[in-house]
Amino acid sequence: MELALGIILGCCALGAGMAMIAGIGPGIGEGNAVASACEAIARQPESKGSVTTTMLMGCAIAETTGLYALVIAILLIFVAPNILVNILVNTMAAL
Amino acid sequence: MKKIDRTVMQETVFVFAFILIFSVLMEAVYLIIDKWDFPILWGNLLGAFAAGGNFFLLGLTVQSALGKDEKEAKNRMKLSQMMRMLMLFVVALIGYLVPVIDIVAVVIPFVFPRIAVALRYFFIKKKEGQN
Repeated sequence: MELALGIILGCCALGAGMAMIAGIGPGIGEGNAVASACEAIARQPESKGSVTTTMLMGCAIAETTGLYALVIAILLIFVAPNILVNILVNTMAAL
Repeated sequence: MKKIDRTVMQETVFVFAFILIFSVLMEAVYLIIDKWDFPILWGNLLGAFAAGGNFFLLGLTVQSALGKDEKEAKNRMKLSQMMRMLMLFVVALIGYLVPVIDIVAVVIPFVFPRIAVALRYFFIKKKEGQN
């Protein structure tokens, strides 16, 4: 029973950590996009308004991957262990 | 303090409006499946404010980064993204630790701004099509 609990909790923590690898990408991507936008504005200062809007939307979309990863990690850390442990306990009780 | 850009304000209001609509829809779904309770409502409120605040902070970061040189803008965006992720994690942690808040209802609104942005794209397309 203790071994099964340990495996469940360990796998949940491992899964959450692996999910958060996806959180690295959006930061780098957003950084590159904003750097390019800075260059574009330096070339054409009159296009600042449209570049800002496009940038904001682009960054929000780019960030979604990281947010999905965060949501999965949060669910794996806080929600999944309780459910899985309940299933385990019920199964053991039924045996 | 630097003045908030009109574009950032406009987009944030748009996203907040959509978050409100989606939150109402979420509550309705919980009501329909007969799982609605006050922790769902508090969780939804907390998650919706965190998601909207996250988008607003993203807007502020973009606004301030656009005035800087390329390398500083890049670093600023990376730092901001990390801090905002941390903020959302802390919000989820609050949802987990406070018994009157349901954590699933906190987490679901985090993805609402993405849906709002996707819908905004369609709105712009429709407007362009009419003109």
